Amino acid sequence: MGRVLNAALGIVIALTLGALIMWAQGYDPLASYAALFQFSLGDPYALATTFKNAIPLVLTGLSAAIAFASGPVNLGQPGQLLMGALAATIGGLYLDLPPLAMIPTLALLAMAAGALWSGLAALLRQVFGMSEFIVTLMLNIIADYFTLWAITYPFKDAAAYSPMTPPIATSGWLPEFGDWNSGVLWMLAATALMWLLLTRTRPGYEWRIGGQNALFARLGGCPVDRNFVTVMLLTGALAGLAGGLLIMGGPHRFLRGLGANYAWDGVMIAIVANNSLPGVLLYGLFFAAIQTGALGMELITAVPSEIVMVLQGVLVLVIVASREALHQFADRLAARRQAQRRAKHASLVESAEQA
Amino acid sequence: MNVLSGLINGAISGATPILLAALGGAFTFYAGVFNIAMEGMMLMAAFCAVWGSFTFGSWAAGVLLAILGALALALIFIVFAVWLDTDEFVTGIALNLFTLGATTYLLRQSFGVKGVFAGPGIDPIPRLQLPFIADIPILGAILSGQNLMVYVAALATLLSAFLIFRTRFGLQLRAAGYNAASLDSSGVSSARMRAYSLLLCGMLCGLAGAFLSLGYVVLFSENMSAGRGWISLAAIILVSGNPWGIALISLLFGFADVLGLLLQSYQVPSQFTAMTPYLATLVALYFYARRHRKERRYVNR
Amino acid sequence: MTAGGAISGECSQMPGAAREPHLAPPLIQMRGIVKVYPPNVLALDDVTVSFAGGEIHALVGENGAGKSTLMKVLYGLVHHDQGEIHYRGRAVRFRSAGEAIAAGIGMVHQEILLVNEYTVWENIVLGAEPVDRLGRIDKKRARSEVQAIIDRFHFALDPDAVVANISVAARQKVEILKLLYRNVSVLILDEPTAVLTPQEIPQLFAELRALRDEGHTILFISHRLEEVLELAERVTVLRKGRVVATLPTAQTTRCELAALMVGRKVLFSSRRTPQPPGDVIFAVEGLCYEDEHGRIRLQDIHLHVRAGELVGVAGVEGNGQLELVHVITGLLQPTAGRIRVAGVDLTQASILERRRYIAYVPQDRGRMGSSLAASVVENAIMTHHRLNPRLTHWRGLLLDWRRAHHFTQHLAQHFNVSMPGHSAPLRALSGGNQQKVILGRELLLECPFILLDQPTRGLDVGSIEYVHDQVLAMRRAGRSLLMISANLEEIFLLADRIVVLHRGGIVVDLPAEQATVEQVGRYMLEGKG
Repeated sequence: MGRVLNAALGIVIALTLGALIMWAQGYDPLASYAALFQFSLGDPYALATTFKNAIPLVLTGLSAAIAFASGPVNLGQPGQLLMGALAATIGGLYLDLPPLAMIPTLALLAMAAGALWSGLAALLRQVFGMSEFIVTLMLNIIADYFTLWAITYPFKDAAAYSPMTPPIATSGWLPEFGDWNSGVLWMLAATALMWLLLTRTRPGYEWRIGGQNALFARLGGCPVDRNFVTVMLLTGALAGLAGGLLIMGGPHRFLRGLGANYAWDGVMIAIVANNSLPGVLLYGLFFAAIQTGALGMELITAVPSEIVMVLQGVLVLVIVASREALHQFADRLAARRQAQRRAKHASLVESAEQA
Repeated sequence: MNVLSGLINGAISGATPILLAALGGAFTFYAGVFNIAMEGMMLMAAFCAVWGSFTFGSWAAGVLLAILGALALALIFIVFAVWLDTDEFVTGIALNLFTLGATTYLLRQSFGVKGVFAGPGIDPIPRLQLPFIADIPILGAILSGQNLMVYVAALATLLSAFLIFRTRFGLQLRAAGYNAASLDSSGVSSARMRAYSLLLCGMLCGLAGAFLSLGYVVLFSENMSAGRGWISLAAIILVSGNPWGIALISLLFGFADVLGLLLQSYQVPSQFTAMTPYLATLVALYFYARRHRKERRYVNR
Repeated sequence: MTAGGAISGECSQMPGAAREPHLAPPLIQMRGIVKVYPPNVLALDDVTVSFAGGEIHALVGENGAGKSTLMKVLYGLVHHDQGEIHYRGRAVRFRSAGEAIAAGIGMVHQEILLVNEYTVWENIVLGAEPVDRLGRIDKKRARSEVQAIIDRFHFALDPDAVVANISVAARQKVEILKLLYRNVSVLILDEPTAVLTPQEIPQLFAELRALRDEGHTILFISHRLEEVLELAERVTVLRKGRVVATLPTAQTTRCELAALMVGRKVLFSSRRTPQPPGDVIFAVEGLCYEDEHGRIRLQDIHLHVRAGELVGVAGVEGNGQLELVHVITGLLQPTAGRIRVAGVDLTQASILERRRYIAYVPQDRGRMGSSLAASVVENAIMTHHRLNPRLTHWRGLLLDWRRAHHFTQHLAQHFNVSMPGHSAPLRALSGGNQQKVILGRELLLECPFILLDQPTRGLDVGSIEYVHDQVLAMRRAGRSLLMISANLEEIFLLADRIVVLHRGGIVVDLPAEQATVEQVGRYMLEGKG
C-alpha cells in the first residue's frame, strides 16, 4: 500500500512540476499531457509501441535491480547493451539460419557479449580488487567508442553515408503480430523468470541475503565471491539481451547513437522501483509510455520531447525522497499519539489518587 | 620544443576541468558525503556558461551563471541527501540524469538546435599573459599565456589545501567525515559541514564546467562532460582526497588526453585514441587496488 | 550484564558509601518526562527525579530500563514528548548537545565518540578551537591550554598522541577532558566502567571524587551495583521506564537494589552443576596469526574443549579474541597451526565445511549474525539451506518455503521467540528476540561444537537468563562450548574452565573453581597473576 501511495505521490508531483515548466515557457500543459497520453496509451497502435519501447528499459532495469539487490554495483548496462547489440548484428550479418534457430542464436550471442563485458569487470574485481563501480562506468565509455569504430570501419555498410552496418538477415528479424512486436514476449518472460529465480531458488536467496549483508552470508556458508561473479554475468547478459532485441526488433542494423536514449534509464528504473522486479516492469512501462508519448506531444503542442528527461529525473528524486519521508512521518505520528495517551493516563491516575 | 610545449599545454588544458571538479569533490569526500553528482554539476555549469556568455556577450557573466547553475544542483542535493536523508548514491544519480535531460532540453529551447551549439556570439574565457614570466627562456611559454581558469585552478589547489588542513573549518570538516557522531557531540552540526562541502563543490564544479565550454572548447554539446565527473571521482579516491595529490593525478589524466591526440597522428583510429583517458583511469585504479590489496582481510572461498 | 552484576557469590550485606545526603535545593529537576520512540516504544513513562549540586548520583536499571534515554533527554540529544526540566531554578529545554554544554552540562557516552585519526589535543578542542583572524587554528595556544587542564586534573595524557594508539581507559579520559575544557560543571557518564579492567577502575573513581570535591556534580549510569555503592552518594532505580526508588547508598544494599531493578527476588547463585567432561571435541594446536601489517595477533594458541564442557575466554578487547573467532570460523587463514573438531581437520576447510561441525553465535547481531532487513524465516534458514536437504529440491536449487516456514515455527516455539510474524523483517523484533532467533538457528544445526561470542551483550535480564539456560542445556546434552565474553560474571557463572587471552597468547587456563575475579583481572591486564 505504501509503495503505491509513494508512486502516486511522486508521479503527481513530477507531472505538476512539468506542467509548471511548460506553462512558464508558454506551452499549454493540459493539451500537452493529453497528447502525451494519446500517443502512448490512447489507441492500440500507441499501446503496442509503448510496450515495444519498454523492452530495453525493462531488461536493463532488471539487470540493474538484480545487481543492486545482490551486492555488485553494476552500472555498465549501457556498455553491455551496446556489446550485445554488436554481437547480434555481427551474427546477423554472417549467419543464415531458419528463423526458429536464428533468433535464439542471435539472442544468445547478445547475452554472451553482454556477459563477457560485465564479466570483465567482475574479473578485475575478483583478481585485482578493482572497484566494479568505476570499472563498469569506464567500460561503458570504452564500449561506446569501440562499437563506433566497429560500425565505422570493419562492419560499415559501404552504401551508407553515415556510420552504420548493413541490415541483418531477415531471418533474424523479430516477428510482429499486428502492431505488437514479439520482443514484448521476451521482456515478459525475462521478468517472470528472473522473479522466480530471485524468490524461489537457493541461489536467489543467497544473492539477496548477500546483497543485504555480505558478512552474514559469508559466515553462513554462502560462496559470496562466486555469487558475485555469477550475478555480474547474469546481469550483463540481461543488458546484452536488451541490445540484441533492439537490433532484431528495431532498425535491424547497428546505427550510430543506438541505445543512447536508454543509457541510464535502467539504473533509474531500478532505483525508483527499489529493486523490486515487478516494480521494474511497471515503472519500465511507465517510462516507456511518457517517452513514446513525448514524440507525439511535440507534434501537437511543440513542447520539445526532451522535457521527458527532466520529468524522469524529478520523478526519481521525489519518489525516493518521499519513500523515506513517508516512513518517518508515519512513525513519528504514531509515537506522538502514544505519548499523549500516556500523559493523559498519568494525569488521570494522579487525579484519582488525589481524590 | 614547440611540439613538447604544445603537448604540455594540451595536458594542462585537459587537466584543468578534472582538477577543479576533483577539488570540489575532495571537500565532500572529507565531509563523508558520497558525492557522484560532479558529472551533472559540470554539465549544468557548462551549459549555463555558454548561455550566459552568449546572452550577455561576456565571459564573466557566463562564469557567474555557471557557478549559480552548479550551486542550484548542490542545493537540491543538500535538500534531499542532507536534510531529507535520502540515499546519497541515488540522489547523485538522479541529479545527473536530471541535468542530462535539462541541458538537452534547454539546448533545444534556448538555441533551437540539437546536438551542438557553437558560434561567434560566445565570448570565451581569455588567456592571461604574465609580463615578466613570459620572458623566462623555456618555461615562459608554459607558465604564461595559459587560460585564466588554469591559474584559478592552481590558486584553488593552494586555497583548498590551506582550508582543509590549517583552519578550524577544515578540522571540523574532516571530523564530519571521520566520525560524524563525535563532531555532533562536540556541539558542531555534521549535517551543516556536509552542506558546506556540497556548496564548495558546486562552486568548484561551476568553474570546471565554465572552463569546459568557454575555454577548453568554445561550444556546448549534449553530454559534453563526457565522463569527466567519473574520472574526478576516481582521482579523489586514488589519493584519498589530498588536494596536492589531486593536482598530480589530474595532470596525469591530462597527459593521457593529449596522448590520445598524439596517437592519432600515427594512424590509430580516433575512436581508440579517445579511449585513452578512460583506459588510464583503469590503469590507475589497478595500481590503487594493488596498494590496498593487503587490506582485504577475508579469505576468498 | 545481568541483574545486580553480582551473580556468583552471596548477596553482599554491606551498605554503600557513607556520606551525608545534600540538603541544598536541587540543581537539576526533571518532572513528568515521557518519551516514546517511533512507532510505539515507551522508553520513559512519567519520570520525576532531581539531582543535587556537588553530589555523585547513580542511575541504575537493567538494559532497556530508560537510564540512557533519561540522560539523553537532559542533555538535549533526545527530545522528550511530555514533561519539563529545571536547571539552576530555570526551566530549560536543550535542543542540542551544544546548548547543554554551553549551559554547563556534559555527557560522556558509553561508546567512545572520538575521532581516531586526530590527536588528543585536536579531539579536545574540536568545536571550540582557538583561532587567529584568518580562521587558522592557533596550534600553540591549543596545545598549551590542553596541557594546562591535563595538569590541573592530574590525568596523565600526552596531548600529541593519536587517539587510535592510546588505551581505551585513556580515551575515556580524553572524553572527560573535552567537557572540562568547555567548563562544564555537571558531568554525565554512561556506563563508564564497562570498558575498563578491574585494575583501572579505582583510578577513575579517584579522579571522579577529586572532581566532586572541586564542586562538580557527577551523574553516572551503571548496572554494576557494587561500584554504585562504593562511589555514589545517592542512587535512583529505573525499571521499564519508570522511577522505582531514589535512595541514599548508605542506607541500601546490593540485594535490595537488584530486587528493585528486576521487580522480584534475584537468585545470585550459579545454576551450573558439575559434570564429568567427555572426549575432546574441539582442539586448536599451535595456532598463529599475523595480520596484513605483519603484527602478530595470535601466538601459539593451544586450546581444547571436551564434550559437556564450557570453556570461557576472558580478556580485554583487542587481545586476539576477534582473530581467534575469525580463524575458527574460517574468515581468516592462520599462518600456522591446526584446528580439529570431532576428529576432522578443518584447518583448510571452507566456511561451509566448518559449519557442519561448528555452530556460531557472533558478537554483533546485526552485522554478523543476521540480516536485519530480511524476514525472520529468511534469517532462520541460513546455513540450514545448504546443510539440510529437506529444505530444498532439485539438488539444492529450489527452496521449499513451506518447509522453511515449518522450521521457523518449530524454532519459534522451541526458543520462545515472540514476533509479529514469520515474514516480518528481523529488525521489527526486540534485541532479545533477535538473539533468540540467531541462537535457535545455530543450536538447531546440531553441531558438536558451539562457538559463542558475547552472547548476551545488550540484552535485558529476562533474555539473558534465557540464553544462559539454553547454553547450560547444550552443555548438559554433551555438546562442547567455547564462549568469549567481556563479562567476567557471566564467565564465572557458566564456565567449567577459564582461559585468558593477553596480547594474542593464552596466559592461563584453569578450572573455574580455582579462579577468583581479581586474579583473572590481573591476568587480563598484565598477563600474569
